[in-house]
Amino acid sequence: MTSNRWIFIVLALLAGIGLGLVYGWVIDPADFFDLTPDTLRADYKADYVLMTAEAYRVEQDPGRAARRLAIFGTQSPSAIASAGLDFARTNGFSDADIVLIQELVTALQAWSGIQ
Amino acid sequence: MKPIRGWHLGAVLALLAGVGLGLVYAWTISPPRIADTDPAALRADFKDQYRASIAAAYSATGNLPRARARLALLGDPDPIEALNAQAQRMLASGTAGANADQLAKLALALDDERIGAPLPTPTTAMVEAAENPEEIVTAILPLPPSEVPIGPTEMAEIIETAPAEPVAAATPRPTRTLIPTLGAPFALTGQESICDSNLPDGLLQVLVLNANRRQLAGVEIVVTWDGGKEQFFTGLKPELGNGYADYLMTPDETYVIQLARGSDVALGITAPVCQTASGENFLGAIKLTFQQP
Repeated sequence: MTSNRWIFIVLALLAGIGLGLVYGWVIDPADFFDLTPDTLRADYKADYVLMTAEAYRVEQDPGRAARRLAIFGTQSPSAIASAGLDFARTNGFSDADIVLIQELVTALQAWSGIQ
Repeated sequence: MKPIRGWHLGAVLALLAGVGLGLVYAWTISPPRIADTDPAALRADFKDQYRASIAAAYSATGNLPRARARLALLGDPDPIEALNAQAQRMLASGTAGANADQLAKLALALDDERIGAPLPTPTTAMVEAAENPEEIVTAILPLPPSEVPIGPTEMAEIIETAPAEPVAAATPRPTRTLIPTLGAPFALTGQESICDSNLPDGLLQVLVLNANRRQLAGVEIVVTWDGGKEQFFTGLKPELGNGYADYLMTPDETYVIQLARGSDVALGITAPVCQTASGENFLGAIKLTFQQP
């Protein structure tokens, strides 16, 4: 077998690798499951913060709200809520929803201060 | 056609090997960064927390379309069943608190919506009856259908929505908040004595169904007697049905049974005295069935 043919085989191998990467990364990327909430897309996180704020409006229990937000992991509950508030303000959430989240942020900041 | 041989075959094999290597790298060694996922990809326990938060938010706002849209994100094949199952698990593990009731309430609302029934909430009379057991006898008289108090209905509250940015496109943003109406409470549709010596003495069996005859888990049942009161829940014995609950009655005690969320009240419940074939006395069971009209 001549060296040209070896080059052709190597090129075929490289082309195959390229095709495999395109398929695996772009066309059909790996499916993930059993993930943690910190991997959620920002809008889902913000909606979760809104859920917590809706419940907080009635429950008035910042500790419980903090436990709900704790599923996002390393950040403090008030920081998580603040991030949700920022997202809500910049992505067209209704004024009523923004007010709810703002109340939650304020409550969690006060609650953090007495922990 | 000439068969592929020699270096041609080698090139084809190299191409296939390359594709395999590329896929292994893309799927296993260096998959795309795990970010920007949706709630359906969450681990089961996080899905439970997500579901509980949806139920808590619904309990606070009564916004059923929003709760339904949020539940859809979790990708449960049957969201109602998922809610009921979670309520059962929480009750069984003793970690329920108010969460199980919120989950069951949301499941009930979704089920009612599916069959077009009004959302059930206790009438004022029922709430007062639950809080004042001594007044139950006067509070329970079922009103004729035309006199069942109906509260403000369908007070739609407009929630403004703005065009979402692309990243927010999937966030459920229903536009109306429906305030749950005061609906009919559960009716006591069945009361029977069961003389079966195989059952525990004085067993009180309660079955709770919705209007669609679906068994409901996580429903609180209040049993009161002269000088005492106790609560228990449906769904703790799933092998007997999601809407099943039981309680052991004391001989010669008379009980009043009702559902905490509002129902007809079963009065004067006592364990029946039965006889075996040999003439021996034993305490039988009582089976009560509550169903939404």
